[in-house]
Amino acid sequence: MDTAIKFIAFDQLNSALDRISEQLDVWVPVASKDQKRVIQFAPYRPGMTLVLDHQTTLGPKQVVLPQVEALFRFDYRKSADEPSRQKVQLEDPHPPAPTLIFGARPCDVKGFLVLDQVFSAGPFVDGIYAARREQTLFATMVCGQQDSACFCSSVGSGPTDRTGSDLWITPIAAGYVVEALSDRAHPVMAWLQEAATELHVAAAGKVQEEAARQQVGNLAVDQCQQHFLQRFADTNYWQEVAGQCLSCGICTFVCPTCYCFSITDEMKDKHGERIRSWDSCMFFTYTLEASGHNPRPSRLERYRNRVGHKFSYFPEKYQGLIACCGCGRCIRNCPVSIDIRKAVQNLQGQNHACS
Amino acid sequence: MNSDLRSELHKKAEQAWPDLELLIGWQAGYDDLHTTPVFIRDSAEISKLIWNPWCTQNLAVYVAKHFAASSGKDDKKIGVCVKGCDSRSLIALLQENLVARERFYIIGMPCKGIVDLRKLHALSGAARILSVQVNAEQVALKSAAGVLHFPLDEVLMRKCRRCRYPNPLIHDVLVGDPLTPRTDAHEAYNDVAAIERLSLQERLAFWQGELDRCLRCYACRNACPLCVCQDRCIAETRDPKWLTQYMHLPEKFMFHFIHALHLAGRCTECGECERVCPMEIPVALIKEALNKITLELLDFEAGLDPQRVPPLLTFDAGETGI
Ligand code: SF4
Ligand code: SF4
Ligand code: SF4
Ligand code: SF4
Repeated sequence: MDTAIKFIAFDQLNSALDRISEQLDVWVPVASKDQKRVIQFAPYRPGMTLVLDHQTTLGPKQVVLPQVEALFRFDYRKSADEPSRQKVQLEDPHPPAPTLIFGARPCDVKGFLVLDQVFSAGPFVDGIYAARREQTLFATMVCGQQDSACFCSSVGSGPTDRTGSDLWITPIAAGYVVEALSDRAHPVMAWLQEAATELHVAAAGKVQEEAARQQVGNLAVDQCQQHFLQRFADTNYWQEVAGQCLSCGICTFVCPTCYCFSITDEMKDKHGERIRSWDSCMFFTYTLEASGHNPRPSRLERYRNRVGHKFSYFPEKYQGLIACCGCGRCIRNCPVSIDIRKAVQNLQGQNHACS
Repeated sequence: MNSDLRSELHKKAEQAWPDLELLIGWQAGYDDLHTTPVFIRDSAEISKLIWNPWCTQNLAVYVAKHFAASSGKDDKKIGVCVKGCDSRSLIALLQENLVARERFYIIGMPCKGIVDLRKLHALSGAARILSVQVNAEQVALKSAAGVLHFPLDEVLMRKCRRCRYPNPLIHDVLVGDPLTPRTDAHEAYNDVAAIERLSLQERLAFWQGELDRCLRCYACRNACPLCVCQDRCIAETRDPKWLTQYMHLPEKFMFHFIHALHLAGRCTECGECERVCPMEIPVALIKEALNKITLELLDFEAGLDPQRVPPLLTFDAGETGI
């Protein structure tokens, strides 16, 4: 028997999380409404009911890259020796605490592998992101709930993709089988009390085999980088894939790999904060220049940018890595059902005759 | 039934085509439960049009925002398919002179109601719905757990269960026969009345709980056919700057109150703001509350009569209602 593998019976899940959350900040997927619909990651509190059998509406992106975060605080104070002058005092945000994201999915974790390229892999390191990322562990669950919007296998991931995870959870009939994937996982494993039996491990193996057989999505992404550039100026193409776009922020806000942000100084009287907040390239104001000119004046240029960023510019810059984890959230939540798979799939092919 | 209406729609669209430069309708989306708007510019594409209880989007949203300023080539018109509720949005745009009647060819769809996907998901409990069949008054929902049956009424959108105007109030042609409304004005505001029965504290707690989830993605605003100043919205302007970028409740309340107040006496209750919200916040209730007041005080409902001037667009020194 492999003693490194642990087991959490369904009715022991909360007590296991109670123990872990004494040591770490733990984030878990919970429903915000009574139905299992609006599911978000939230800080664990004893007694919470986790929703582990549905994809979350919002992924755990906000745990490491919050929708709003202070980069620093500032205070204007009168200078003691020269009362007519004001001095600015700066204060750093609090250092992050060790955190465990429990019950993420492979696509959620893949999202962070994309964000890492931008924020922490260098050459320019975002200290705040990097510190939080460093402190964050992922307990990821093998996924058996793909729906008609998912396409993770098409973008180099899949329901059993362990890349980037620290602990691996497999749901079986009686509970969860938990394996350590990284050294960082060992303390958490030690807080789990029950070792998995051979039967548990065998059952988990079956679940994983079944999940590994699933080919989720059939989007072909090879050469999409070039195909995108060829399509760039084909207005009719973009009209066809996104003419109905409403220019809202849903697709970008629910996306695990969208990371554009805005920076503002929010102040009251003499003190305030410089904050970073999620922005959306689908907003008109995103590219609005001070002169009043807007290089992406309509929804078509904006949607084209979203596709181009993920499937062409990003892979060009970061060794072919596609900036999409195939989670399908943008498709599922789009009010007018715009399908990014269709936008990418048809990049290849005849340009439309210009009319 | 649906396939008959679909061929009737195709036939009527074909007949109208010589006068049209563009036709806005619904087409099949990425699976059987989703439709997506289609802009038809070639008569060969008319066959893409569909009409069924999944045709959820209010296509009037494109009318003022995308096409109001366009002038027709050779006097050709823009065709648009509207359900009962969608037709009211068009009328409201006409009442406010935001669009010109003669630019549009309106295909009216008498409507039995649109299915609420969230209700289906809640009822099925499964992560994936495999198929749904709607026949007459029954819905059969298939998931990995098996087939479940529900009365159609139970899975309709909230707006449809309180619908008073299933028949388009303005149209150049109708597809199908007019239907009997489900409710009257008396029952239509039951959901608002239920909120009003809560104590002020309970009401505050209710809205705090709901709006706390708001992402400020502004989909509720952008999906609204009557929110026509979207790129100049107070929620995003920097100069003057009305709202901070914080995600605190006051920012969210402020956005929603301005959004709702700008729709007072204008909202036609198409329910799009509420449908599109990824966080399932019942934001239409705020506008319904204003509409209830407008109805009680001023005897006015937006989007019914193209000739009537909305109360907030006029000034009457002799007003006695308020
Ligand atoms: S693609 Fe869909 S979700 Fe994204 S901005 Fe357009 S309408 Fe909104
Ligand atoms: S682009 Fe869409 S499918 Fe890809 S990661 Fe973002 S939300 Fe998921
Ligand atoms: S509110 Fe009425 S007209 Fe609108 S979709 Fe529902 S039933 Fe149809
Ligand atoms: S659609 Fe929902 S989440 Fe987005 S701004 Fe409106 S209420 Fe907030």
